[in-house]
Amino acid sequence: MRTKRLLSVLLLAVTFVAGTGVTLAADAKAENPKAVKAQMEIDKADKARKKAASVESEWTTTGKLIKKAQAALKKGDYDTATRLAKQAGEQGEIAYEQGASQKELRMPSYLKY
Amino acid sequence: MPASQVIERICLEKRHIMKKTLIKMGALFLAGGVALAAQAATPEEDRTAFTNHYKFRFPDVPMEEYPNGAYAIDKIGRENWEAIEEFPPYEPFIDEGQEMWETPFANGKTYKDCFSDGPGIKSQYPRWDKKQGMVITMALAINQCREANGEKALKYKKGPIVPLMSYMAFESRGQITNVVIPEDDPRAMAAYESGKKFYFTRRGQLNFSCATCHVQNTGLKVRTEVLSPSLGHTTHWPVYRSKWGTAGTLHRRFTGCNRNIRAKPMKAQGEQYRNLEYFLTYLSNGLTLNGPGARK
Ligand code: HEC
Repeated sequence: MRTKRLLSVLLLAVTFVAGTGVTLAADAKAENPKAVKAQMEIDKADKARKKAASVESEWTTTGKLIKKAQAALKKGDYDTATRLAKQAGEQGEIAYEQGASQKELRMPSYLKY
Repeated sequence: MPASQVIERICLEKRHIMKKTLIKMGALFLAGGVALAAQAATPEEDRTAFTNHYKFRFPDVPMEEYPNGAYAIDKIGRENWEAIEEFPPYEPFIDEGQEMWETPFANGKTYKDCFSDGPGIKSQYPRWDKKQGMVITMALAINQCREANGEKALKYKKGPIVPLMSYMAFESRGQITNVVIPEDDPRAMAAYESGKKFYFTRRGQLNFSCATCHVQNTGLKVRTEVLSPSLGHTTHWPVYRSKWGTAGTLHRRFTGCNRNIRAKPMKAQGEQYRNLEYFLTYLSNGLTLNGPGARK
């Protein structure tokens, strides 16, 4: 009982510290709204990529685009970063649809039984 | 989009696919003739359907040719291959593997202590292991043996596991593929079904399944390679591949085929690929083991 309470307090503390870290990072970039936008699109793309992976449908192209977007962001090329991240995000969504739409096995008609 | 056109795209298309194309591809998922009926087919019905498909497509190719892959159906490639087989590039791997097989572990035991029928035991794999509740491939069994004897597990796609498996495959030549799906454990059938599902699922930016290339388009060319039938896909591993400049495992090949369609590969010897191997090897039941092999 006591350890359980202690654990939850610890967990809260960790969450708080981690949360502050994120806020600080965001603050640093908040100077440039384009940078914020690019970072947002990158996060969105990575979420979409993971969603596709959750149905075993991730494309190899998506992670590469995200890496390129991150590199562009780092260089300060925010428009390129946003464009690439958006492309990656779309891929993630389509790849997820691709996997999800085939949840049931579908046999092709060219294989005759 | 007709399949031949899609195949062409693999050869031609290097540039980024634009957004519109992507969305069009999305629409493709639902298109195409798709039959739901064969879902409930038994493994033997699956094997028969594949066999009949290839027999119809290649009426002059006898069954015992299928372990030779694309060279069963590609006359020009075959001449090259026969020349290569005169001085088999996988031979040094067999020798090296024999040495590994015979060298004791640090604890003094050997592979023979794990595999009393060894080294020629390829036809016993992949098999369903009721106790572990999973498909055990020969590669996995090798690493389980190593770990039980305090040795580090080997990597699954390349490296020292390849010569060891080459030697074991060589010693298994002439054995007959005989994958069993035990009826006393429904999880075995579920593993087979999951492998089958993987095989028929369209993946990657190109939206291809294994079947798109190796059933629907078998015999057609992708770049310079003729697409092989899936019957015989599992008889001859490891393979010395000229393109790799070395020998590699079946799961390395799975990885490559997934990457070709821009699908992120699964983990070698992970559950998906082991189940895929279970399904794919079942299709080759009755075919003779002829590993290790050589391919372009
Ligand atoms: C874009 C078409 C394409 C797709 C999709 C594809 N492959 Fe392949 N595969 C090839 C080509 C090309 C080769 C080399 C020529 C050959 O042997 O067919 C090959 C070779 C192989 C081989 C080796 C054959 C041999 O004789 O050594 C195996 C096994 C294989 N593929 C399995 C698969 C599996 C399993 C899948 C699905 C996960 C798959 N392939 C998806 C194109 C494809």
